[in-house]
Amino acid sequence: MTTNRPVIELDGVTLCYRLAKQRIPSFKEYALHWVRGALTYEQLWALKGVTLAVGRGEALGIIGRNGAGKSTLLKVVSRVLAPTGGRVAVHGRVAPILELGTGFDFELTGRENIFLNGLLLGHPKREIEERYDAIVDFSGLGDFIRSPVRNYSSGMLARLAFSVLTAWTPEVLVLDEFLAVGDVHFLRKCEDRLEQFKASGTTVLLVSHSPESILENTRRCIWLDEGRVRLDGPTADVLAAYTASAEEAVASS
Amino acid sequence: MTDLFRHRDLIWHLVQRDLRVRYRRSTLGLLWTMLQPLLMMLILHVVFSHAFRMELYGYPVYALAGILFWNFFSQSIVASMNSLRGNASILSKLPVPKAVFPVATVVSGVVNLGLALVPLFGILMFTGHPMTLALLFLPVSILLAALFTLGAGLLLSPLAVFFSDVVELVTVVLTLMMYLTPIFYPMTILPEQYRWVVRFNPVRSILEVFRDPIYYGKIPPAQHLAVCAALALVVLAIGAFSFRRSSDRIPFYI
Repeated sequence: MTTNRPVIELDGVTLCYRLAKQRIPSFKEYALHWVRGALTYEQLWALKGVTLAVGRGEALGIIGRNGAGKSTLLKVVSRVLAPTGGRVAVHGRVAPILELGTGFDFELTGRENIFLNGLLLGHPKREIEERYDAIVDFSGLGDFIRSPVRNYSSGMLARLAFSVLTAWTPEVLVLDEFLAVGDVHFLRKCEDRLEQFKASGTTVLLVSHSPESILENTRRCIWLDEGRVRLDGPTADVLAAYTASAEEAVASS
Repeated sequence: MTDLFRHRDLIWHLVQRDLRVRYRRSTLGLLWTMLQPLLMMLILHVVFSHAFRMELYGYPVYALAGILFWNFFSQSIVASMNSLRGNASILSKLPVPKAVFPVATVVSGVVNLGLALVPLFGILMFTGHPMTLALLFLPVSILLAALFTLGAGLLLSPLAVFFSDVVELVTVVLTLMMYLTPIFYPMTILPEQYRWVVRFNPVRSILEVFRDPIYYGKIPPAQHLAVCAALALVVLAIGAFSFRRSSDRIPFYI
């Protein structure tokens, strides 16, 4: 279902973090350093030039070792982080789950959190009210919706987060290591919904360390390695190459 | 801007949450926010009218109007500086326009100021201070004060993310500014040669737009209003511009 115009276009995207220990914590120190002319930063390049185009309705899996830049890439696509260099164009609304629990207030009830989370995702209150019943219904949380989220298990939290996020059909859905939580029943529901979304033209980006999850939900996959796209192709091939390389690394160590 | 407008329900939600937290903290709740400026006014009244023998007609009203304005201004600035750090997990993981936090802070400050007008009217009536229709001008005064404060908040809040000691620094500067603003003293008690310092203090100009209708019962002169409106808009423009420029860097520092 890919059309000519990509929904996500990244062109030579780089992103640099300043290491936390190198950051100048106070204005006083900044002024002192500035006077001495000793303002140096240690830099960490999480993305070193990523070029990528993802079409409408396409599902892209992203794999790679810890620290390869997967989550950073998702943050750039979600417009949470602005790239240091290169060009990013994302056409349409992005709905991300970058970390389970963000946008939730653990002291509030599930019900209140549906509103908080919906608002944080940029939806008007009226639309949340309209979809409230459907959200609770999809989450399958039943009466738990009235108890504070701090009592939820991570699976329940995932149910709530996914239900709110997908109550609207976004142009781009971004899931970071999400399908690993939750039970099989809910996983099926999630995957069904993902299929519906893809069919209706939503582009899906999926980061996961579970090969099954990637294989099940995507046909195309990229392998990120030290901030660069090492391989881009059909999911099965990329997974095979990645697994082979990982096994090789283990064998040689 | 359009992004902020799209998130107006979120802003209002943050305002409500802020108010709930503020009023839940003490048993007296709402009453306490009204009492605090009143007690402050009482102290100032005793100190200045009795101990220092300063004579100013209707001093309690004069001081209370000043205190309410100053509380709004200084608390909003400090709170907006803390608002970004306080919502660090959201800012680094959700694509929310970062300005919603300082904006919500100033809006909740306005609501608080509105609530604090209740005891102010009480004092006006209690002391028999003349009240005129000029009081109806107050919403305009508050709007000007809010735009000015928001501008300052937008300018300073990213700095509080980049440097952890800026909040302390600003607190000290605010204390200095409080004394350079005729909040609890009239301009006339200052020696002639120092008055220009206070006269050129922009906060003083905005304060007068707020206090004129209350204390003097008159709408501020058109010329003064024009200057203040320009001042508020310039500060807001500078704040919005600098916030926009630095907002991309915010998630890297929190």
